[in-house]
Amino acid sequence: MKRRTALALATAVGVALTGGLAAAEEYKVGVLLPFSGVYAGLGAHIENGFKLGLEHFGADLGDNTITTIRADTEANPGSTLAKSKKMVLQDKADVLVGIVSSAVLGGMRDFIHNSGTPLVVANAGNNDMTGVKCSPNIIRVSFSNAQINRPMGTWLAKQGKKKVYLMAPDYAAGHQMMEAFRKTFTEAGGEIIGEAYPPLQGTKDYGPYLTAAKATNPDAIYVFFAGGAAITFVKQYHGFGIGKDIPLYGAGFLTSAAYVHVQGEAADGTVASLHYVPAIDTPENKRFQEGYQAAYEGKLGSEFAVQGYDAARLIIEAIKASGGDKAAFKAALSKVSFSGPRGPLRIDPATNNVVQNIYVFKNEFKDGKIVQTVLDTATDVQDAPNGCAM
Amino acid sequence: MAHVLQFRHALALVALAALLIFWTQAGYFGMEILAEIAVFAILAMSLDLAAGYAGLVSLGHAALFGFGAYMFALFTVLWGWPASLAVVLATLATGAIALIVGAVVTRVQGVFFIVITLAIGEMGYEFFFKNRALGGDDGLSGISRLDLSAIGVDLNDPGIFALFLIVVAAITYLLLVRLLASPYGAVLTGLHDNPGRMRALGLPVRTYQTSIFAFSGALAGFAGTLSAQHTQFITPNLLHWTTSGEVLVMVILGGLGTLVGPVIGAVVLTLLRHELSNVTDYWGFWLGFFLILIVLGGKNGIVGWLAAGWNALRGARPDDDQAADEPAEGEEASDAAR
Repeated sequence: MKRRTALALATAVGVALTGGLAAAEEYKVGVLLPFSGVYAGLGAHIENGFKLGLEHFGADLGDNTITTIRADTEANPGSTLAKSKKMVLQDKADVLVGIVSSAVLGGMRDFIHNSGTPLVVANAGNNDMTGVKCSPNIIRVSFSNAQINRPMGTWLAKQGKKKVYLMAPDYAAGHQMMEAFRKTFTEAGGEIIGEAYPPLQGTKDYGPYLTAAKATNPDAIYVFFAGGAAITFVKQYHGFGIGKDIPLYGAGFLTSAAYVHVQGEAADGTVASLHYVPAIDTPENKRFQEGYQAAYEGKLGSEFAVQGYDAARLIIEAIKASGGDKAAFKAALSKVSFSGPRGPLRIDPATNNVVQNIYVFKNEFKDGKIVQTVLDTATDVQDAPNGCAM
Repeated sequence: MAHVLQFRHALALVALAALLIFWTQAGYFGMEILAEIAVFAILAMSLDLAAGYAGLVSLGHAALFGFGAYMFALFTVLWGWPASLAVVLATLATGAIALIVGAVVTRVQGVFFIVITLAIGEMGYEFFFKNRALGGDDGLSGISRLDLSAIGVDLNDPGIFALFLIVVAAITYLLLVRLLASPYGAVLTGLHDNPGRMRALGLPVRTYQTSIFAFSGALAGFAGTLSAQHTQFITPNLLHWTTSGEVLVMVILGGLGTLVGPVIGAVVLTLLRHELSNVTDYWGFWLGFFLILIVLGGKNGIVGWLAAGWNALRGARPDDDQAADEPAEGEEASDAAR
């Protein structure tokens, strides 16, 4: 209460100092997430996190208010482009937030770039969107595909794993993840002795791929799978008994908090890297997890929920920093930094991608459930500009 | 038959008038929807030509649509050709592909035809999904629109572009009506109703089927070039079988083999999709529910219902519109409004 009063006082003083010119502003936020289709689950996590973020940090708005409008993106770039045009041109949204699929983000990119309305990306990890195709209007608070995998290459080489086999679904994100790992891993003296890219859709049986991988006799297998494919892959990896001889490593979506409880014992021993793990021991994360579990039937807050949560906070911090001045608000978005559930994060002014810690964590099956513990932390992981010129 | 055609043309005129009235009222979002409707109307008409008239129910039509879009993007974005030339060449290229595909797939009929077109369509999808030069699954951006500034038309204005597409769709409708009224059109109807009898009459059935598949494919490719210009960004999803399915739903919902039906189907489905998704996250359920109601009614889609309603108003016997021929097997529903 005291803090709130102090804030209100500070705001009042601020208003008084500017001669009362900065009247309370209403900020319209357009939420663009998949509420139907293959990504509907992720959309729900992000929206839940976003709502919680508004609740936790809404007081920082002072007299300003946020209203949200939402639209379903499915995984459809065409209709999402139409909906984002509606939000920007017709509803006069001040900022858009969301976007799970990189293809959907690609479809909006030119429109957002030319529109002057900022977009806070809360998932889509395509490197190019904060690389060669970067835009001053696209601010990413989630991750880039390379960011998550780069630290793992160095780390794994340091663990004495010299020969690694790669596997990922055959689509753009899968390749971007593997390339990032390959670069740092080989630079640290490791060797890629084989790789396989099963089709993204319709791969039910990873048996042939696993057999081929095992035949090369690697020190470890490094993979990226997400969602349903991750559950299937981890279960089959365990089922075939390969895990006994060859440990499984991967980008952390492999054993995401969103579904690791479904994988259960099969995920035991898997080590992965990600920008958020529920096990992070900080007051910010404790507050997030307690709030999330209280609001959503005791479900663990996943990295996707954190992305939504931090997106809300990013917008609020930018409003706070610009003191109700909408023109300054846009510029303020890419200057925000704070400590959230995933630790300290800031937006890189050179690329508008988030700079954050990447956590290497281990899954262990204890007393009938999976426990995730952080093994190592790569701090302040920042992407090179990769051809980005703002 | 004459008054049936008159009824359909009247419906088409009503649909056009409704779209134009909507156009005068529409905001930015409305313009986007109108453009989408016009593109899908052309695509659905092209599918109706193959499925509704020639009886070639294809589940790979979206692959031709997407192929046209990708060819247009390849010619303009990667090779830097002018958009007008690219529209023509992309349409022809899609027609050529459809000709080759058509020569193969018309060897089989019925459910085998559906499955083989589905399979070939998925091959196209996978090709563009994995083609890194064309952006892979992340899609290809930076597509520009036709430059009609020479005649004072700025297609980059959303309203003008929507109107342009509506006009193109209307012209397409008129050309197809002309085509179907020709002896060639009569052959198509014959092929649909009774291919066996047409063969007995000495008609080279497969040649005709292949030619209409190629023509229909070229038209789908043309719709693809328009779609690419509309969103100015394309992904392999354009080629996916679910898009084919959606277009087939438009055709069936509106009325198979009526030409105006697919246009109405495109209007209704696109509007429902956007409006329902604002109301509920489970819009797919209600859409399916609505579709089942329409199809279970036993009439030929919305056009069939409207025709039945019109006949009831006129006090005519419902059987008046039945063609003299026995309906072909498994196609009873589509003949109700004939």
